[in-house]
Amino acid sequence: MRKRFSMEILCAGIGGRGVLLASTLLLDSAIRKGIYGIGSDEYGMSQRGGSVVSLVKVGDVKSPLIGKGKADVILGFEESEFLRNLSYAKRGGIGIVNTPKKALNSTLQDLLEKRGVSLYLLDADDIARREGLYQASNMAVLGFFSSLGIEPFTFENLRDSICDRLKGKMLEKNLKIFEKGFEKGRERRG
Amino acid sequence: MRELMIGNYAIARGLVEAKVEIAAAYPGTPSSEILPGIIEFAKRENLDVHCEWSVNEKVAFEAAFGAALYGKKAACMMKQVGLNVAFPSFFESLEREIRGGLLLVSCDDPGPLSSQTEQDTRMVCSLLGVTVLDPSSPSEAADCAYYGLLLSKKLGKPVVLRPTHRVSHSREAVRLYHLGKRKVRLKEGLVGKGSFKGFGIVASGTSYSVVMDVLSELGLKRDIPVFKVIKVHPLNDKVFQFRDSLERVIVFEETDAVIEARLNLKGKVYGRLNGILPDAGELSYDIIRKAVIEMCHLSGLKVKYEEEREVDEVLGKIHLPLRPPKLCSGCPHRATFYAMKRACPDAIFPGDIGCYTLGISLGAVDVFVDMGGSVNLASGFDSVFKKEGRDIPILASVGDSTFFHACLPEIYDAARKKRKFVLVIMDNNITAMTGMQPTPQTGLTADGKRTNSISLEATLSALGVKNVKVVDPYEIPTLVETIKNSLSNFEAEDGPFVIIARRECLLHKKKKWERDIELDEICTGCKRCLKDFDCPSMEFDEDKKRIRINRDLCVGCGCCLFVCPQFSKTKKKVE
Ligand code: SF4
Ligand code: SF4
Ligand code: SF4
Repeated sequence: MRKRFSMEILCAGIGGRGVLLASTLLLDSAIRKGIYGIGSDEYGMSQRGGSVVSLVKVGDVKSPLIGKGKADVILGFEESEFLRNLSYAKRGGIGIVNTPKKALNSTLQDLLEKRGVSLYLLDADDIARREGLYQASNMAVLGFFSSLGIEPFTFENLRDSICDRLKGKMLEKNLKIFEKGFEKGRERRG
Repeated sequence: MRELMIGNYAIARGLVEAKVEIAAAYPGTPSSEILPGIIEFAKRENLDVHCEWSVNEKVAFEAAFGAALYGKKAACMMKQVGLNVAFPSFFESLEREIRGGLLLVSCDDPGPLSSQTEQDTRMVCSLLGVTVLDPSSPSEAADCAYYGLLLSKKLGKPVVLRPTHRVSHSREAVRLYHLGKRKVRLKEGLVGKGSFKGFGIVASGTSYSVVMDVLSELGLKRDIPVFKVIKVHPLNDKVFQFRDSLERVIVFEETDAVIEARLNLKGKVYGRLNGILPDAGELSYDIIRKAVIEMCHLSGLKVKYEEEREVDEVLGKIHLPLRPPKLCSGCPHRATFYAMKRACPDAIFPGDIGCYTLGISLGAVDVFVDMGGSVNLASGFDSVFKKEGRDIPILASVGDSTFFHACLPEIYDAARKKRKFVLVIMDNNITAMTGMQPTPQTGLTADGKRTNSISLEATLSALGVKNVKVVDPYEIPTLVETIKNSLSNFEAEDGPFVIIARRECLLHKKKKWERDIELDEICTGCKRCLKDFDCPSMEFDEDKKRIRINRDLCVGCGCCLFVCPQFSKTKKKVE
């Protein structure tokens, strides 16, 4: 019998700033590999700059919703939105957060360590700004995530999804930012 | 072949595969993407479907109903509160025999996330005896749409499809079929082989999918029997047998207790009615997990789960700024609201439904009820104030799309009765909130062709409004003056005064001026702009104690310059 497999990712960010695109790319990558996936996005009022959460679940799952302590990965496209959703991280999970800081609140950092959550801090805004597309900082976070090499969210897979979804100049810039994020991830982990 | 799409597109796909001939809708979250989906799939499949945005839900319903009476396959889409607008004709349609088919898609919003109230479309349908389908995923929604439209043709009655926002806006790879060839796999009834007798679960919609994930997590999939419901009315008889064969049953459904009320037996059936589940709101993963565990305890079934609070406890001590939604940087509505508040801080401000409901946070919306409520509330206040001899200025606001949707008889009535209020119509020439659908004034059809544009000014004048002024909201001082003048000129004039604040929606235009707004240099840190204007591009630098403009977000509209007292001072000096 095939082993049960599932992966739950919570994307936390600010409405109207590409959270939806990021979660769609993640789903695309799973489907590209023939893995079942379902995601849930928030539309409407929250798209006007409010807190938004996009959920992505792949593998042996049915619903798009994630419970507390269940998320394998939390991608924080903005720091306070990341923190707001931290209780969804599971023991031994992964957190990647877009922040210029070198460390988070120390009590929190200790707690995450105790719970075995690997935490990565990344100044994605800075990467995106250098490429002249501030709104695309999410791509840097995705790039960083891809450097961890977790199937099906590998560099190649996510890159192919980006190439499918975007066109022209937007594609060029987004790819660049994605690659920069990937490199940062590789450097970080030596 | 499969394709990744949101539930609303899946519904559109199902309808196109069922060869729908006419589709009419009024945009409203979470339903707005279905009509564009139909247009796209029809084009791809070379199917001739007449698609239209109607001016409101009643118009949409009647257009579709007329076509169905005549013998066509019709669909009509709206959000749950839109059904209230279409209700008179919906009710009446149930008495008639239709020759074609009519699928009404009414999208519910448990929470609610983007509506004024929750409401459960299934409740109305069950009470009226209308067939109603409650899909649990985008794929199932595609099947339901296909099946529902064909079923309606067979029954000669309208059929209702009720997705929640978690279905409408979930994304899944949905299987595509050739036209007329969809293989519908709607499986109702017992799921799995759970043999525990202590309790079982009845579930429908998204809650069903969540229940299955919760049972997996808790390792109970082989124990707990689950009965899945898709057709909420008429309810499958087997569900009653299921209930009777078990000691207890818990029902998970959104939003009201519709199935639960039918099954209800005191002491045996659990759910929203007996307090084990909250009596309103979305059933989140955590709520469902907690209830399943509680049922296990009640029934003497051991379950391994430890609730963890550590993270929440630490987070509770850290201040996280709330991030409510805001009008976009440079949104013309913000300038209008600021001018309204500035012109008359003591006015009473009835508002309406759209992006501009956010005017609440700027103090320029006091009260709103539903689409079109602004004008009627203003009229109501006017008659009370008149009667009591009080002179309180009334300054109402509404967007252009909502004005056409729900304010025409209202403004005519107010004009006829010589109501004394000022109505500001925030005219951005688009339905912004729901994703940029054309309004009657835009002069475009749903599929982007040119059509007649209905002028707002001409409409107002025909409806008996004598005073109409058009102002660019970015000209804040002019707008303030215009509002002040109209409020003080009432004695001489008769009837409501309308000011059209006209400028295109910024998100739609995607416009950005290449100009640098230099407030940073002159700022004294009084925070007035944050309090009164609240543009997302303005941040407060706590170290330097002054404003920092986020140049990545700022669109250079320059409105904040009117707000900052420092700017007018320094500017005067230069001059
Ligand atoms: S979408 Fe348009 S109308 Fe709505 S807040 Fe943004 S700019 Fe304003
Ligand atoms: S209103 Fe002007 S002076 Fe006051 S905080 Fe804002 S920018 Fe600074
Ligand atoms: S110019 Fe001022 S009001 Fe306009 S977007 Fe920039 S900061 Fe906001």
